[in-house]
Amino acid sequence: MHSLNRRVFLGTAAAALSAPAILKAQSDAIKLGSLTPLTGVGGTYGPSMRDAISGVIAQVNEAGGVLGREITLVSEDTQTSPEAAVRAARKLIDVDGVSAIMGTWASSITTAVAPLAWESQTMLLCVSGADSITQLPHQGFICRTQPNSKLQIRVAGDFMVEEGATQMAWIGPQTPFAASSIEILEEIAAANGAGMESLIYEADKSTYRSEVDQILVNNPDFLMLGGYAADSTVLLRDIWQSGYEGKIIGPAYAVNQTVLDALPPEVTENVFTWEGAPAIDSGAYANVQAILGVEDVDPYSAQTYDHASLAILAMAAGGDVTGDTIRQNIRAVSQGEGQMVESAVDGLAGLEGGINYSGASGPCDFDEIGDITGTSFVFKQISGAAAAEFKRV
Amino acid sequence: MLSYLLATLTFAGVYALLALGLNVIWGMAGMINLGLAGFFALGAYASALATVALGLPIALGIVIAIAAAALAGALLSRLTLNLRGDYLAIVTLGFGEVIRLIAANEIWLTNGSDGIPGIPGPFRGALTPLQFNALSCGLLLLAVALAWFLTERLRRSPYGRALRAIRDDETAAAVAGKPVRLYKVQAFAIGAGLLGLAGAAYAHFTSYVAPDIFRPLLTIYIFLALTAGGTGNTSGAVLGAFLVIVILEGSRFIEPMFHGMSGAQGAALREIIIGSVLIFVMRIRPEGLLAERPPKPVEP
Repeated sequence: MHSLNRRVFLGTAAAALSAPAILKAQSDAIKLGSLTPLTGVGGTYGPSMRDAISGVIAQVNEAGGVLGREITLVSEDTQTSPEAAVRAARKLIDVDGVSAIMGTWASSITTAVAPLAWESQTMLLCVSGADSITQLPHQGFICRTQPNSKLQIRVAGDFMVEEGATQMAWIGPQTPFAASSIEILEEIAAANGAGMESLIYEADKSTYRSEVDQILVNNPDFLMLGGYAADSTVLLRDIWQSGYEGKIIGPAYAVNQTVLDALPPEVTENVFTWEGAPAIDSGAYANVQAILGVEDVDPYSAQTYDHASLAILAMAAGGDVTGDTIRQNIRAVSQGEGQMVESAVDGLAGLEGGINYSGASGPCDFDEIGDITGTSFVFKQISGAAAAEFKRV
Repeated sequence: MLSYLLATLTFAGVYALLALGLNVIWGMAGMINLGLAGFFALGAYASALATVALGLPIALGIVIAIAAAALAGALLSRLTLNLRGDYLAIVTLGFGEVIRLIAANEIWLTNGSDGIPGIPGPFRGALTPLQFNALSCGLLLLAVALAWFLTERLRRSPYGRALRAIRDDETAAAVAGKPVRLYKVQAFAIGAGLLGLAGAAYAHFTSYVAPDIFRPLLTIYIFLALTAGGTGNTSGAVLGAFLVIVILEGSRFIEPMFHGMSGAQGAALREIIIGSVLIFVMRIRPEGLLAERPPKPVEP
């Protein structure tokens, strides 16, 4: 079996692997990068996030491109791992020369990729919620369409109090937003004369019975879940088995349809969920529905639709295709007095008169550090393993 | 493109240091260390905290990282001296997870799952990204060359021969009068020190560490690198690490050749390619690309 010489094998392999890169370097299109989790924990969301970006680019190309040039999408997989994501981002920046990287999902991944982006003047548009991200020294090269976790928890905490919570509890794994979630809920509880307990558990366990017993010691009447879909499935089952009769609220990405389908309907009955509300009555949302061919668009795909639209419009407004152009012009097309537009194609047509892009995930207005403002939230309640709208704030 | 190649070569250097460290522990002394990511994390965090929190120079941070990882390696191997094979594998895997969980939960020290951003790199900021990548690449390759030279010397020395004897038959080595327990602890500490050096290099190159980086997948990659390169062979460890990076990165460029695939299909295809190539390499060279050859005895 040793007839295949080692040197020949390695040489051929290296040549075969580098050939497509040489071909790619010759095209003249504008390049935008998608860096979503196609495999790993985030793999449920990444593919449709990428498809939303790809749909926007296809529409713009069909309408004649931007600045007279075509746009190509270069897509890489984060594997939901910061180590793999950094290597993928290096390839997007150094080989493809993308002007923007869109769709980073987990907060640790966005933080790992961020320094590469600002050092190479590439715009980074993300859907991560950790408060620390926009506090990095990013010089304007980061904008996010996901409300930061403080805002999300504050909105949900107020909801719990309005719904009559007198003894609140938070239970979740260690995440970048665990500590601040607990802090904010304690503040809200103290201001309203309610009690508040919290418990951090280890993710990836097959049962949480002892954790559930522990958090129920003080008889809470409103529980907030702080984890992701996998651990929330186990946790909801164990809470139900413990005979807990109070109310439960969890983020919509944790108590999603997969979780509802996996559990018996009585386990999830009356559980509340909340999320940043996609602008479901908007033209932009209808456009994403058409692109993805689905009725319910998840919030992340709605956000990446907005990423792609904003990046394209900002390049058109600045008359150049660099990441720096996007950084300087993104607020000029996303907010202000201009005419409201809901897609990149409409925006390109109306650019001369001034535009204010309003997207599928909300109005898309950013403050000076790149945080989104003016997001509205939707609360839903589960009934018969389906989520029905309960309230909007 | 050049900048990407330099960065990829730097990552390959980090993988090579990890493979060289594992080669001392597993390849030469026969102790299975599945807690590799834990020592990598220890080095990365030690150097990150020394330079960010204490403001020490990078060189000193790296020395602290090597010392911390070597000390942890010595302690762990001292505690597990009587464990072999599968049992040692489980304990070391547990050690790696413990380190990751400490990093995620001791927020006062490690900043929790937010991680530590803004770790300084040599002359970072004064250089363009391309120059920085070139410098990092040069330094890493230098470190790999030095580590290769030292571990190769170790392998060829009577000490290396004693380690091989311990690996192949511990009782026989003990009967021959070799201080088996001492040598095992020493070998584990030396290997762990190299893993710590790799961690420090990674932290200063990428400027960010977080618990998510140190998941067991990395351990698997390094075991693959060493097995594909040739367990017990120093040059094989380096070659295997470069091969794994070539496969991991090279597979990116194959996907665009297949048109009309959705994102998830493309990502899955890439994982299939990575797996198949490694199986192929192991099929044609089961002993690794460079098999271990005991050094020739020196003529008296």
